[in-house]
Amino acid sequence: MKLLIKNATLVNTDEIIKANLLIENGKIAGIGKDIQGADKEIDAKGKYVFPGFVDLHTHLRTPGKEGEEDILSGSTAAAKGGFTTIFCMPNTEPAIDNEGLVKWVREESQSVGLIDIYPVGAITINRAGKELTEFGALKKAGCLALSDDGFPVDDTLVLRRAYEYAKMFDLLIISHCEDSQLSRGGSMRESFISSKYGIAGIPDIAESLIVARDIELAKYLDAKIHLAHISSAKSLEIIKRAKKEGVKVTAETCPHYFTLTIEDIEREGFQGNFKVNPPLGDKKDLAAIKKALADGTIDCIATDHAPHSLVGKELPFELAPFGFIGLELAFSLTNSYLIKDKTLDLKDLTSKLSTQPAAIAGLSNCGKIAQGYVADLVIADLEGKWKVEEENIASKSKNTPFLGQELEGTIEHTIKRGKVIYSRLKD
Amino acid sequence: MTNMEGWQKKHILGIKDFSRQEIETVLSLAESFKEVSEREVKKVPALRGKTIVNLFFEHSTRTRTSFELAAKRLSADVVNFSFSTSSLTKGETIIDTIKNLESYHPDIMIMRIGVGVCLNSFSRYTQASLVNAGDGRNEHPTQALLDMFTVKEVRGTLENLNVLIVGDIAHSRVARSNIFGFQKFSSKVTVCGPTSLIPYEFEKMGVKVSNDLDKEIPSSDIIMMLRVQKERQGAAFFPSVREYVDRFGLTPQRLKKAKKDCLVMHPGPVNWDVEISSSLKEKVHPLILKQAENGLAIRMAVLYLVGTKKREV
Repeated sequence: MKLLIKNATLVNTDEIIKANLLIENGKIAGIGKDIQGADKEIDAKGKYVFPGFVDLHTHLRTPGKEGEEDILSGSTAAAKGGFTTIFCMPNTEPAIDNEGLVKWVREESQSVGLIDIYPVGAITINRAGKELTEFGALKKAGCLALSDDGFPVDDTLVLRRAYEYAKMFDLLIISHCEDSQLSRGGSMRESFISSKYGIAGIPDIAESLIVARDIELAKYLDAKIHLAHISSAKSLEIIKRAKKEGVKVTAETCPHYFTLTIEDIEREGFQGNFKVNPPLGDKKDLAAIKKALADGTIDCIATDHAPHSLVGKELPFELAPFGFIGLELAFSLTNSYLIKDKTLDLKDLTSKLSTQPAAIAGLSNCGKIAQGYVADLVIADLEGKWKVEEENIASKSKNTPFLGQELEGTIEHTIKRGKVIYSRLKD
Repeated sequence: MTNMEGWQKKHILGIKDFSRQEIETVLSLAESFKEVSEREVKKVPALRGKTIVNLFFEHSTRTRTSFELAAKRLSADVVNFSFSTSSLTKGETIIDTIKNLESYHPDIMIMRIGVGVCLNSFSRYTQASLVNAGDGRNEHPTQALLDMFTVKEVRGTLENLNVLIVGDIAHSRVARSNIFGFQKFSSKVTVCGPTSLIPYEFEKMGVKVSNDLDKEIPSSDIIMMLRVQKERQGAAFFPSVREYVDRFGLTPQRLKKAKKDCLVMHPGPVNWDVEISSSLKEKVHPLILKQAENGLAIRMAVLYLVGTKKREV
């Protein structure tokens, strides 16, 4: 079966070209103005085509909390948001800390058959920060990265062993940067606003202290690390310096850190839907995040998609769980908040949502629109508007602070290995 | 009785969103209600036929009783519900509890809860007026109103006073509500306590921050001693009660340096010999008991104001 995408504007990190694109056997078979002849055609006139998005940070809640998200609903939400590959975090019940569970998630995701799902294996057994998991077995079962996401691995000696041991398998360590003693009991960024309302605060240095620790450790061991969900200006200063020194560090941020601040929490009356960890920062942080996205200090955008049941998010702010859903919003938020104000251009969007995360994870045949690459593609309308409403969210959970907001940028089609897995008009 | 026609507030959430005029309205109404408690028949029919729910998600006897009596003296029907905050995180959620109580069509829900800034979001689930009886570390509006009432009663004014609040500022909703209240009358507030119990960037509240009680006492018109939560010591905010008392306890020696007409207040219950030396009991306890007495009148005023507003359908 041959699929032709006609009149496409193809966006790679180095160039934007207008051409037709032919897909055959799940791969990009040709790109050119005159290419014709296929079993099926999609006219992409006026639309933009990006390589399929790659999310390094998703919570699928499976196994354990399938009521909040499962592999089918998570895959569907991902496809709807233009993600063709996602990495799911191991903070499940039980934790994904053994080859059996890794294989199971891989097989389940293959039987759903929409997108590629790579489980991120736990660094330590049960994410308890004490004993290392079997990195070799996890790798064999399909892991490309490891993380105790939610915890920083408190014991620095254990973390050192993890960095050293992971090098043997070329496994990426994803660091959750949070000093869990400093952040204890907190619900929002420590600030005048948290003080005014008596909400226990999490200082920004709870993040940057661990950023500094992990960077020092990586530098000392000449290891590779990836820093998850970076939210603060202070962390960015440290990352920028480390990159300049040649430390093998990469970093991601999430859409809520370039769209929302602590002031939005106050303005919206401390709704549970505005509670996230790391917590939302102030205006200075938001400006620093945007600048770091533009200058490359931040390599990629991840969703930190964190589904929670309604019961959880209805709770008072201080009792509500942390986290927002993000798979279906990340592209539109990037387009609405970064492309429109020219913080990033479209080539950067490809880089931050696809090419860079693919490269960081070591995926070599995706993240680019070129002949021979896998045909993971997103066709998007940058001007298309849609309103974030519970009814049009495919994820099982609806916890997002953007409910009710109109965003710009719609995913028209998502294509995985040459197969159309999502079309907006059929949705 | 005071003319209540301008009263707009459906809910009593916090002093931060009170205007000076609204505070004055509550205080002057409380003054007229005070007399009711001195009558032979301690009851007025103002809220007859109204249903008031005392919904307490955190342990309290004094505040709950004060609200309950206030409701009864206004002839309202009042029921009490007590839960523990920890039970909220699982099973029946707080929203379910409120929705469940809403099915009885209450007119007022008085709420105390161990977490802050949440009453506003609860208003979506009930048509009742919500009255904050203390939410987390955020606000305790009726406490501040009764404190201001007491100050006004004794000093005749709330204007241009130096108010010193001493102790655990970080965890104190009483401190926050009083700061917002007194500042609206151009009074100056100083908070004094161990640095580890002063919230981050707290001077942005417009208060003076101090760690030196001896230095602050002489210029103060009002000294509010906050209750030391002994159970918080596990979190190591200060090393020992002994050291706390040494620096922040109100002793006869310290009080000697105060102005002659300086008022010593406490939201109660007092840990004698911690916040205040027991040797000062005779001197300071009468005013602290007056605060409690005034609390009843303030709560009657607040319930009257929101209770006589029409239940919105």
